[in-house]
Amino acid sequence: MSVSSTSDCGRSGARSVAVWDPLVRLIHWGLALTIVLNGAVVDEESALHEWVGYVALGLIGVRLTWGLFGSRHARLSAFPPNPAAALRHLVALSRGDTTVHLSHNPLGALMVYNIWATVLFLGATGYMMGTMQFFGVDWVEEAHEIAFNWLLVSIVLHIGGVLFDSWWTGVPLVRSMIDGRKRVPRDRSVE
Amino acid sequence: MIARYFPAMKRERRAITLAAIILLQALCAIFFVGDVIFDLSHGDHLDDLHLILEAVAALALCAGVIYLMRELRDLLNRMAAMELGIRAARGEMADLIDAFFDQWRLTPSEREIALMVLKGIDNDSIAKMRGTAQGTVRAQCTRIYAKAQVDGRPQLLSIFMEELLNVGEG
Repeated sequence: MSVSSTSDCGRSGARSVAVWDPLVRLIHWGLALTIVLNGAVVDEESALHEWVGYVALGLIGVRLTWGLFGSRHARLSAFPPNPAAALRHLVALSRGDTTVHLSHNPLGALMVYNIWATVLFLGATGYMMGTMQFFGVDWVEEAHEIAFNWLLVSIVLHIGGVLFDSWWTGVPLVRSMIDGRKRVPRDRSVE
Repeated sequence: MIARYFPAMKRERRAITLAAIILLQALCAIFFVGDVIFDLSHGDHLDDLHLILEAVAALALCAGVIYLMRELRDLLNRMAAMELGIRAARGEMADLIDAFFDQWRLTPSEREIALMVLKGIDNDSIAKMRGTAQGTVRAQCTRIYAKAQVDGRPQLLSIFMEELLNVGEG
């Protein structure tokens, strides 16, 4: 028995790396909560719907600010939106590559920006609906509806992607968004 | 309670608290900024004392959020550096232990037992974990102490403590 195998990787044979800082986690679950509230719980016509929407916008605003100068893995520069990289990631997956990305993988990064943009768009069209200028204007309401449907599709893809990646790389991703630590199996290379 | 004995946990909790405060304060800041903009666009002017106070409060909140974010980032960086240091120290310690075990020519099962001894596990528990008789463990321990040329447990430990403490002096 080698000493190092027991002393620094624990029983599970994985090393844990602190990745998601508390602010990222709070904002992630806060945003999830606002989407659930506004999508399924709160009456759409109510003032509460508007306030929950503002909170969602605020959360993304804070996240983007934090993304400018925050902790290492939270910075936007750690996961730039890069469709070419996402495509390369897909090709690598099809070749059986199980490299672990400490921040988001390139495909996941695209989904992050997609969800933020969709929620911002929902907020903007939602706000417009409440203004005198656009009150009762059909295309605004339709845009809001379509954006919400797109958000639902995105969330299904997001959860599917998280489950797939957890299974593929062996890193329990949901847990990492709860306690902030990615447990990377020993035999995986890390990027 | 436990956090008092584990500084890492205490810092972790501090980071979480700081993050929660940042988030709440940021949402408040956004609310006040929005309120000021709303008032301005609805005919109020900046010479109104009430509005001036509100605007100053909004700015102060924003500045506070940015400042706290920088604090949080520094705290997280410190935590990461410390984790790296501890991990490196662990690696060094493991190398050191391996080197001594090699030097003493311990057999694989003796290495296992010696490591458990270093971790402070008593013979009784070692025997249970390995599913052997207590006498066997005692005999193996005696061989380990003989190979390491020490009198017993405390001296075995002190070999490694000495190595660790010497680093500071040398």
